[in-house]
Amino acid sequence: MNYRALVSTITAIAFFALWETAPRAGIVDPTYTSQPSRVVAAGWEIIRTGGFLRDVSVSLLEFTIGFVLAIAVGVSLGLLLGRFPALRYFLDPPIMAVYATPHLALLPIIVVWLGIGMQSKVAVAFVSGVIPILVNAMAGVRGVERSWITAARSFCAREWEVFVKVILPASIPSVVLGIRLGLSRAVLGVVVAEMYQSQVGLGNEIMRYGSEFRTDYLLFDVLLVSAFGLAATSAVRALEERLWTAGE
Amino acid sequence: MKSAPLLLGIISFAVILVIWEAVVHFGWVNPFFVSQPSAIAGSLSRSARSGELWHNFAVSLREFATGYGLAVAVGILAGALAGRCRTVEYALDPFLWFLYSAPLIAFYPIFVLWFGLGVPTVIAMTFLLSVTQIATNTLKGIQSVNPALIRAAKSFGATERDLLWKVILPASIPMIIAGLRLGIGRALMGVVVGELFGATAGLGYSISYYGGLLKTTDMIASLVVIVVLGVLCTEGLSALERRFDSWRIGPGS
Repeated sequence: MNYRALVSTITAIAFFALWETAPRAGIVDPTYTSQPSRVVAAGWEIIRTGGFLRDVSVSLLEFTIGFVLAIAVGVSLGLLLGRFPALRYFLDPPIMAVYATPHLALLPIIVVWLGIGMQSKVAVAFVSGVIPILVNAMAGVRGVERSWITAARSFCAREWEVFVKVILPASIPSVVLGIRLGLSRAVLGVVVAEMYQSQVGLGNEIMRYGSEFRTDYLLFDVLLVSAFGLAATSAVRALEERLWTAGE
Repeated sequence: MKSAPLLLGIISFAVILVIWEAVVHFGWVNPFFVSQPSAIAGSLSRSARSGELWHNFAVSLREFATGYGLAVAVGILAGALAGRCRTVEYALDPFLWFLYSAPLIAFYPIFVLWFGLGVPTVIAMTFLLSVTQIATNTLKGIQSVNPALIRAAKSFGATERDLLWKVILPASIPMIIAGLRLGIGRALMGVVVGELFGATAGLGYSISYYGGLLKTTDMIASLVVIVVLGVLCTEGLSALERRFDSWRIGPGS
């Protein structure tokens, strides 16, 4: 375990060192590759200037609304479909077709429907997040141990009691897994939607810095988004681990 | 009864198409926004006859094949090396971890700076999006090979090469194919998004192009082609997965 941490740290440090020194030694052009020190400086510059907070809050708001909607719709529809096989067989093919499609291909049509403002980004976050949540909630209900349901029934539990007291708790780990998978897709969805068509937001900034050849600034924003996605995903993963151990 | 889900699936698509056609036909929904299945079919046959569809399809397919092909080669090689050698695994770990969790499409503008607008950038996106999945799955597949099998082969004098070809690869193939399947979805995403942002041809480009002209019908027609392509690729590899998995007896053996 210690050896692992050592090797990983060394390669990570080596990577950053190479990234920092290669432009200095003139091997590569820092306009294209930037440098860790420049990225940090650019980050400081971005945070100090006024527009940053606005971009972050807009992106965050779009993400939050879209993702909360995705959880609400995905979980409830997933539980429903998991409970009623006839409904599932009927809706499974279109859901699987959407699952197999690169969902960001929907960007242009969502823009035609909802315009270039916040609504279209909320919609993209929703569409990106909802499918994995739905599919996993469905799988969670279907994966509930049969004998538990039989046991509950033989103790005269009514149908809704079986659902609320047995199926719901048992499928929570799977639901949370779906939320984690949907989360990173929704973050990506918001950023890419902003990169595609928008006037404000982090994705918009990323695209602008790119077209202005400001690699340092661009990388800072990209890393910021990555860090956010990583932190949120790790938080859900920690929750997941607690749920799994609680279930045993 | 095995065909019941399939039948319901076909009915499901038929019902959706009929409702879609009907709501537009009776004027409840503006066709500007949702178009109409019959109009989309017309648009598809028109672009198929004029050759536009095949041209876009060929461009996207070439980008996809190049990017994904590279990802398969590099991913399996890196995964196999990491699976057989712990130092390589630990060295690659931070990078795989980052590539796995970062919103990689946000790096698109940098790729444009590096490779220019167009095909090379799309190929790079496709490669980058799919390579991580393939490498991680190969690594996991090789690590999950039963050590008793390896010990047994070794005690009968197997060389490292025999071991790789006759024990490790066959045992880890299902995991690797699962990685290839997941990678296909991400590679398609790379092709489509890369083309949405900057290209002169391709399926993603045509969606974006017709979107700019507000021609909903042609836009949805291209979208339909992409959906069909995604489903076919995923289903094809799922079938392959089942075939390679069939020699296993029971779960976990």
